[in-house]
Amino acid sequence: MRPSRTQTLAMTIDEKVRKTLAELGVTDAAGVEALFGEVRAAMEQERSSLVSHGASSEAERDRLSKSLRDRWLARQNGLLANIDERWLKTSPKELKPSVGKSFNGLRQAAAALEMDALVKGVGLKIPTKVAAVDAAEIRGAGLRDLTLPGYCRPLGSLHPVTQMQREIEQIFLNLGFRIEDGPEIESVYYNFDALNIPESHPSRDDWDTLYINAQTVLRTHTSPVQIRAMEKYGAPLYIIIPGKCYRHDNPDASHTPMFHQIEGLAIDSDITFADLKGTLDFFAKKLFGEKIHTRFQPSFFPFTEPSGEVAISCIFCGGEGCRVCKESGWIEVMGCGMVHPQVLHNGGIDPEKYSGWAFGLGVDRYAMMKYDINDIQLLFQSDVRFLEQF
Amino acid sequence: MKISVNWLKEFVDVTSDPRQLKSDLTMIGLNTESCAPVGDDWVLDVEVTTNRPDCLSHYGVARELATLYRQPLQRVEVFLKESGEPTSAAATVEIADPDLCARYCGRIVQKVQVGPSPDWLVKRLEAIGQRSINNVADATNYVLMELGHPLHAFDLFRLRQHKIIVRRANPGEPLRTLDGVDRTLTRDSLVIADGERPVALAGVMGGEESEISSRTGSVLLESAWFEPVSVRRTAKSQGMHTEASHRFERGADLEMAPLALDRAADLIQKVAGGEILRKMIDVYPRPESRKDLLLRRSEIARILGTEVAWEEVERILCGLGFQTERQGTEGWRVSPPSFRLDVSREIDLIEEVARHVGYDRLPARVRPAPPRVERDITREKIMAVSSLLVGLGYHEIIAPAMVDPAENQRFADCAPVMLANPLSQDASAMRSSAVPSMLRAIRWNLDRDLRDVKFCEFGKTYSLTTEGTPEERRVLTLGATGHRRPASVHDSEKVVDFFDLKGDLGTMFAPFDLPKLDFEPSSCPYYEEGCCGRLTSQGIALAVFGQPRQDLAREYKLRQAVWVAEIDLEHLLNFSLRPRQFRPFSKFPAVERDFSLVVPDGVPYARLAAAVAGLDLEEIRRHRPVDRFRGGAIAAQHHGLLLRVTFQSQTHTLTSEEVGGLSQRLLAVLEPLGVRLRG
Ligand SMILES: [Zn+2]
Repeated sequence: MRPSRTQTLAMTIDEKVRKTLAELGVTDAAGVEALFGEVRAAMEQERSSLVSHGASSEAERDRLSKSLRDRWLARQNGLLANIDERWLKTSPKELKPSVGKSFNGLRQAAAALEMDALVKGVGLKIPTKVAAVDAAEIRGAGLRDLTLPGYCRPLGSLHPVTQMQREIEQIFLNLGFRIEDGPEIESVYYNFDALNIPESHPSRDDWDTLYINAQTVLRTHTSPVQIRAMEKYGAPLYIIIPGKCYRHDNPDASHTPMFHQIEGLAIDSDITFADLKGTLDFFAKKLFGEKIHTRFQPSFFPFTEPSGEVAISCIFCGGEGCRVCKESGWIEVMGCGMVHPQVLHNGGIDPEKYSGWAFGLGVDRYAMMKYDINDIQLLFQSDVRFLEQF
Repeated sequence: MKISVNWLKEFVDVTSDPRQLKSDLTMIGLNTESCAPVGDDWVLDVEVTTNRPDCLSHYGVARELATLYRQPLQRVEVFLKESGEPTSAAATVEIADPDLCARYCGRIVQKVQVGPSPDWLVKRLEAIGQRSINNVADATNYVLMELGHPLHAFDLFRLRQHKIIVRRANPGEPLRTLDGVDRTLTRDSLVIADGERPVALAGVMGGEESEISSRTGSVLLESAWFEPVSVRRTAKSQGMHTEASHRFERGADLEMAPLALDRAADLIQKVAGGEILRKMIDVYPRPESRKDLLLRRSEIARILGTEVAWEEVERILCGLGFQTERQGTEGWRVSPPSFRLDVSREIDLIEEVARHVGYDRLPARVRPAPPRVERDITREKIMAVSSLLVGLGYHEIIAPAMVDPAENQRFADCAPVMLANPLSQDASAMRSSAVPSMLRAIRWNLDRDLRDVKFCEFGKTYSLTTEGTPEERRVLTLGATGHRRPASVHDSEKVVDFFDLKGDLGTMFAPFDLPKLDFEPSSCPYYEEGCCGRLTSQGIALAVFGQPRQDLAREYKLRQAVWVAEIDLEHLLNFSLRPRQFRPFSKFPAVERDFSLVVPDGVPYARLAAAVAGLDLEEIRRHRPVDRFRGGAIAAQHHGLLLRVTFQSQTHTLTSEEVGGLSQRLLAVLEPLGVRLRG
């Protein structure tokens, strides 16, 4: 009895290969082609199903791909072996050429299946339970020694001068000051003339200057930015100016040709010497500790008047006198003063309407003092043994 | 300047002990570094600022103390025994260039006995560090230290025609100065000449030929006032700095000239005998009266933040030699004394008041700035980058900006900014590349057997624009060598390589809103060929990095692989920080698959990545290479690449079939590149 069309359709490939073409009701070339098409589709489906399912280990992947290969290609009872046996060898003479042709096509496709890297290239599922396994291992088997050092990723560090600079900046940022910047290669006008330091005056000699040419210098202080900022923003103005400065100084334990300064400037309609004293005292206490005292003594800078030096009670001996403070009990920490009316004028600000105060300090010295660094050269040697301590 | 306490006591009744004196002087602006006992005396080392030449003398310091201690200041009075003819009959003085010499006073002391000074004089000079020369020279030096006015003594008979002419030097005129140096003068120099030739550099140093010697019989004493700028220029051009030039260039006291002259003549007579001719010569072409200043009480309060009583202001200013005259309720009309050339404005008077009221007695208040609204975005960016670098293990260094131009030139092709007066040849140019300083920093550590080094440097490079103006650029430089991490039981050691730097750069750029970060292999004259890369965004180069060429590495004695990156901060800082915006993530599970690929050697990973990206499939969420190998079953000129792909959909759980389909498409797009799945 020949099976009905529906019966044939309901049969799996595995069942079909156990029957002859006649039993499957295939009688013409078109039928042969449809049947083999069905087989090839099944093969492709199984292959891509395996690929998308993936495997959770190499071993599983090898096992899955081997079974797929065996199912189709095994000499004994493989699907292809069955097709050869049942369909090709027993096919009627008139169908033999078309069955032979289709079978060859199938064989090639299957051979490709065997060679096809997809079988080996089946995606591996990524294991996700490593941590849990480890935890269990640590708790249970006692394979690990918990006293071993942790897994460390070494941190870098900011340079002590940068750290010092940021600490100082932060205090003034909290007071509402803004940070300004300016060029290191500066004109003689901004570096000296506009700051009331004429070429003809001996005060010019207080700055050992590195010249580019007669009109251009490496700035000897951050003060030129005072003028630049006045020109740019006018009054009122509350700024601090950190930056590199240069002097014609031969390097030794306390000098380097390049150093870091922070300049501060406050200009407003009612700024007095009291603001200078109060604000700098506040700053010094925030930086060096609430216990210190400040002392203001007169000094001279061409760009401020009255000018002063600020000293703090020695942070090493508390004012008793020691080597650091040269037995005086005091350490000078910055120069300051009320902005000279000529300087305000040079910056385009009316000195009758506005007044201001300014200060300048050496960041490198602060870092040395606060971090107990005895030789300024250490700051610029880039020795990792030094840097990693900060 | 060294100040003897005993000497001060001749002018003011100083009772405080020397330590107190030291502190008191400091608190009025005469910073006193030390006080030391010398015999029965104490000597203070007073640092006098350039604006106060009047304090370069015992009398000047005594005036400050008298004001501070509210004590009278002893007047300097000289009663001379003059005799013989008028001075002008024995010598003549002519000021040919009155713009450079405002006053010239002269006296002649005849029949002096030049010889050693008496003990008291020697002792006093030696106490303040001055060497005794002979009685005449010591007397002038004594008056210099006492009153601050420089004097010069000529041997009258060495002055041709007994003439003094103050004039500019003729170009090329020779003069052998007291220090034995033969000098060639220029038109800029002011000289004292006799009837024929220069005999002294005015206000700087006398000539050797007219020097006082044991054979000197008559002395011509000079007490003059030379223009500060001219003295400064003369001294500078001759590379000289003397006690005299130090004072003249700061501004001497015009009115002190005759008094100092009389004081010196008197002293010479006392220690070397002789007769002082009658009536000094005083050539003073245009006596100048100084402008009075107005000092407003309101201005004192505006600057100092407090009122100062009328009497207190007058006490201070009068004590310091100013004359004050009240102007109703407004303030004072003030005449500054001739020795205070530094006082020329109202603010200068306010400083005098502040100094003597005492800075410590002035009020203080903390004064924050008014609230401001702008954010400092540049600072935020630099903070973000530097924090990341610290987290990535980089230590920040600060490298010198002044370098050897020859070394610099090997790393940069632009013209460097050269220094006109460098400290040394190897610091005579401003660097136009930060790479050599980074290599030097690493070498410093390798030389000390410190082999695991990661450095970053925020600095500048400097160059000249085509117009010749200097330009500064902010740069960030990274340097890395040695092990990524110290060896540990948990992990094997791994050496830092190209990809560490590449990865760190990617991390470092993460805070920025870069539309795209493109990598391309690059070449650079100082990096090893094939070991150099470039990161760009929208065609803007952000970083170049690589391994220094082998010959450079040998030169810098880099005994292990070193990697360097240069980041253009000017460009980077132009990009804004990445805006934070949440994009809903998929609620559906992700599927990860590894694809074992065989890739022809000529096909770089970037092409695979580009091909996958070109698919523009939302479900291919992520892909990354997790292994790369050679050998085994891999054919020659091919390598294996394990590609890990994450599939995920925004709208549903992907079925096996969908993942299969996506895998197929992924493989299909790679196929034209010759990439196959491994068989
Ligand atoms: Zn101390």
